[in-house]
Amino acid sequence: MQANVTAAGSGGRSLFERSPLHRLPDRVLQWGLSGLAAFVLILIAYFFVRLIGQSSTAFSHIGVFDYFFRNNWDVAQLQQGGACARGAGPCTLGALALVLGTLITSAIALVIGVPIAVASALYVTELCPRRVRAPLALLVDLLAAVPSVVYGLWGVFVLIPHLKGFQQSLANTFSFLPFVAGQVAGPSYFIGGLILAIMILPIVSAIAREVIATVPQEHKEAALALGATRWEMIRTAVLPYSRAGITGGAMLGLGRAIGETIAVVLVIGNSPTLAHSIFQQGYTLAAVIANEFGEAAATPVYRSALFAAGLALFVLTLFVNIIARRFVVSGDRGRRRAAADVFAPEVVAGTE
Amino acid sequence: MSELVRISARRRRTDAAMRGLLAIATAIALVPLVLVLYYLFHKGLPAWSGNFLTTDPNGNFLGYPGGVRSAILGTLEIIGLATAIAVPLGIGVALYLTEYGKDAKFASVVRYFVDVMTGVPSIVFGLFIYIVLVLGNVGGSGYAAWKGSIAVSLLMLPIVIRSSEVVLLLVPASLREAALALGAPRWRVVVRVVLPTSLSGLVTGALLAVARGAGETAPLLFTAFGAQVLTGNINGPMNALPLQIYQDIQQARTDLNTRAWGAALTLVLMILILYVIARAASRRSRII
Amino acid sequence: MTKEMTVGTPRIFALAAVLTASLAVAACGSSNSSSSSGASSSGAGAGSSSSSGGSGTINGAGSTLAAPIYQQWGSTLSKQGLVVNYQATGSGAGVAALQSGTVDFAGSDPPMKPSEITAAKGPVAMFPIAFGAITVSYHVSGLSPGLKLDGPTIANIFLGKIKTWNDPAIKALNPGVNLPSTAITVVHRSDSSGTTKGFTTFLSDYSPAWTAAAGPPDKIVKWPLGTGAKGNAGVAAAIQQTSGSIGYLDQAYALQNHFEYATVKNKAGKYVVPTLPATSAAAVGISIPSNLAISTVNSSNPAAYPIVSQTFLIVYKDMCKEGVSKSTAGLVKKFITYGLGPGQAVEKQLSYAPLPATILAKDQAQLQALTCNGSPLS
Repeated sequence: MQANVTAAGSGGRSLFERSPLHRLPDRVLQWGLSGLAAFVLILIAYFFVRLIGQSSTAFSHIGVFDYFFRNNWDVAQLQQGGACARGAGPCTLGALALVLGTLITSAIALVIGVPIAVASALYVTELCPRRVRAPLALLVDLLAAVPSVVYGLWGVFVLIPHLKGFQQSLANTFSFLPFVAGQVAGPSYFIGGLILAIMILPIVSAIAREVIATVPQEHKEAALALGATRWEMIRTAVLPYSRAGITGGAMLGLGRAIGETIAVVLVIGNSPTLAHSIFQQGYTLAAVIANEFGEAAATPVYRSALFAAGLALFVLTLFVNIIARRFVVSGDRGRRRAAADVFAPEVVAGTE
Repeated sequence: MSELVRISARRRRTDAAMRGLLAIATAIALVPLVLVLYYLFHKGLPAWSGNFLTTDPNGNFLGYPGGVRSAILGTLEIIGLATAIAVPLGIGVALYLTEYGKDAKFASVVRYFVDVMTGVPSIVFGLFIYIVLVLGNVGGSGYAAWKGSIAVSLLMLPIVIRSSEVVLLLVPASLREAALALGAPRWRVVVRVVLPTSLSGLVTGALLAVARGAGETAPLLFTAFGAQVLTGNINGPMNALPLQIYQDIQQARTDLNTRAWGAALTLVLMILILYVIARAASRRSRII
Repeated sequence: MTKEMTVGTPRIFALAAVLTASLAVAACGSSNSSSSSGASSSGAGAGSSSSSGGSGTINGAGSTLAAPIYQQWGSTLSKQGLVVNYQATGSGAGVAALQSGTVDFAGSDPPMKPSEITAAKGPVAMFPIAFGAITVSYHVSGLSPGLKLDGPTIANIFLGKIKTWNDPAIKALNPGVNLPSTAITVVHRSDSSGTTKGFTTFLSDYSPAWTAAAGPPDKIVKWPLGTGAKGNAGVAAAIQQTSGSIGYLDQAYALQNHFEYATVKNKAGKYVVPTLPATSAAAVGISIPSNLAISTVNSSNPAAYPIVSQTFLIVYKDMCKEGVSKSTAGLVKKFITYGLGPGQAVEKQLSYAPLPATILAKDQAQLQALTCNGSPLS
């Protein structure tokens, strides 16, 4: 190494006698890499602009407010020959059922997934025996390795048939609550939310684990010294400190749940009406794109309406992720920590 | 101990109950993994017979529907190309962030948007590529495998950038400074010291990104589109394992459903193997 | 330099290199197309077709009702060198693909509307090629096959007015049959479908309430309730996976999956089981317009099953003018010739009714009238 450096650097000449060109490779590398970074930024911006452009046809025919807040996903009017499809008449397509479906399934995912994720994170970091810690954490993280389509496959052939009776009994027991009573078909918002909960579990749990591990030892020891039981120590020293980080983790999970497509489209029933119960078939923004894109490809207004759904998804997830980043502790500070974990699901996390 | 601090029975009960609850919650968190793996093997292994890996899906209405050969090879091609795009680009951006950008404003902006990019739904990437490449028939084709590769590489990029950045930051400053002190120009330090030191970590990050990309369906739906026959033409539609599974789930024939389980088992095993290799690579590293 | 400077492990480097190399090799994989006919995922049609001499590939897309027929014909013809790449995307998507010129022929159950024809690149020739019974299939444990249903009752089921299998309306039509109290789950098409058009035409004839709620019969309607599925295959999957479900399904798919289906009351007031003779009977005595745009739904023939759908193979009258190569156009003609000849017997095996002689003759005449850039097609 020593020989290489001397030979390449100066060729034997003194530091002050080198030609100006010796800086060139450095400059090339620096500007090349900066260019790459700028390229990535420009790419994101470019895609955003094109997506807005493609959605504009739908918005001009339907109106932005009407598109998002009217419950009328009636694609029959987009069929060829219709006035709306030709661009000769008004279109009254409304995606409210889709937007609400997205929010409902994500809410169910959070309600089921976050408590379990945080509880398991607490157990793994605070309560379980040291030797079991790493394997347990690995097992929870492995949930992130299963592809979305495999979760969908499992949901269709295992979850739906086995849970149909369970859903019906839930619907009957809690029928006094709104949006619960009614006949259960099998595919439903609930199953969609359940599968999403399983999919966001590894992300929320990993972030929660990291956040809980940063609680200063002194806080915990102080609580124990004052006579707290382990649970009271967790309740008074750990949870309040990590609340912000866990919230951030939950929001990242929310972002993932909103954008999830394939697992949801297979188990939600694809019914574009707003159901009366969470145990009935529904639809989401992501599912409608996956299902109807093939149909829509030839009709500009229809295609544009689906792009608008994609734009809505993009903006929603962007918004949720930006807020989440403000909460999560593992920002720039965390990057420079010595014990970095390349395997953390939030590094590998994303959405399908 | 019990003489110093008296803990009431009620508090002890609460403590025991909550600890039990947390343990149960952890057990619940593990149940889905166990169930998914169990059913994958239980229903997928029967599909692995005879011509499963050696024939293509043939779309026959009656009779033998074929295996998944074109799907497996299609996945290898599409993901291979996506890796070739995403890994160099991602490592390059990570190098910029750690070596040159550091805490500068521009670098922070890049870092921020890369973080945000991790959360973009993969179907939106598919839509992006559809708008930019498929609609305009760029390259002389509508749906094409290489367009699918680009969509998947967009998904893999933030993962590669983030994991590479983590690894590159762990190269001890002393190593860099030593090389610089010996008179090496900046680029030599990067190429001869930084990259080799972090190589296994970079490989680990790349493998994890590949594992992620291999399982994605949505970006391929309107870019690579899918096919039945085995085709080596990347400028046309191509099959892939997730696409094949997605189609076979929506069929009523039980032999097609079984084929879906078999293909899913294949896909999950491929991904788990990548994870195992990645873990082995990171364990060998002196840094991570 | 000490041992600590040893970077990584040469073994890992080699492993990574081998992995990348093998992926790269796979990416530059060799061309190895094997011929097959088959359905693929939905969307507009495939790329360009190629042909040489009497062999080559033609591309089609459309009706899932007719997909088994085209796939079976293609399977036989592939041995003679003619590869048929048919994508069962639904009648609507098939017509769209033909209009944009991405396929050589489209399969559509309903004839193209005048507005659809004007939106196409040129005049089209519609060939009726088969008739398929649209069964009302159900999956209910404890219910015997051949349940009797009529138009108004079926409409009310799909409207959500009849919610359980032991509803009085169903009981009235099936005295003495043991009906379980299971809830009814409706399954319908989520994509643009000719089967939907045939089924909703039948419902509209009997139920003004249906037309008011869902709109006029068309390839896509506003379903009041139910699970949406893609293609006849998807509907079959949904019916199979949901106990208590009912859906409309082409007979070939119902038979393939051993579903039970209803005996439906026809216009003459008789309850008819969908059989091959009952399906053929629907084609007897129908009016045949000059462009062959026939319709067999709700036939007045007393022996006919009421929900029979025709299905068309549609091509441009002058394919070459619309961008199809001369040899490919010739292959398409070869395909249709086979279909109107030996292909008719194949239809019977798949439980579709072949064409009666009158329509077959008109089809043949229309086939001979196809041109290529003005001159007759060979």
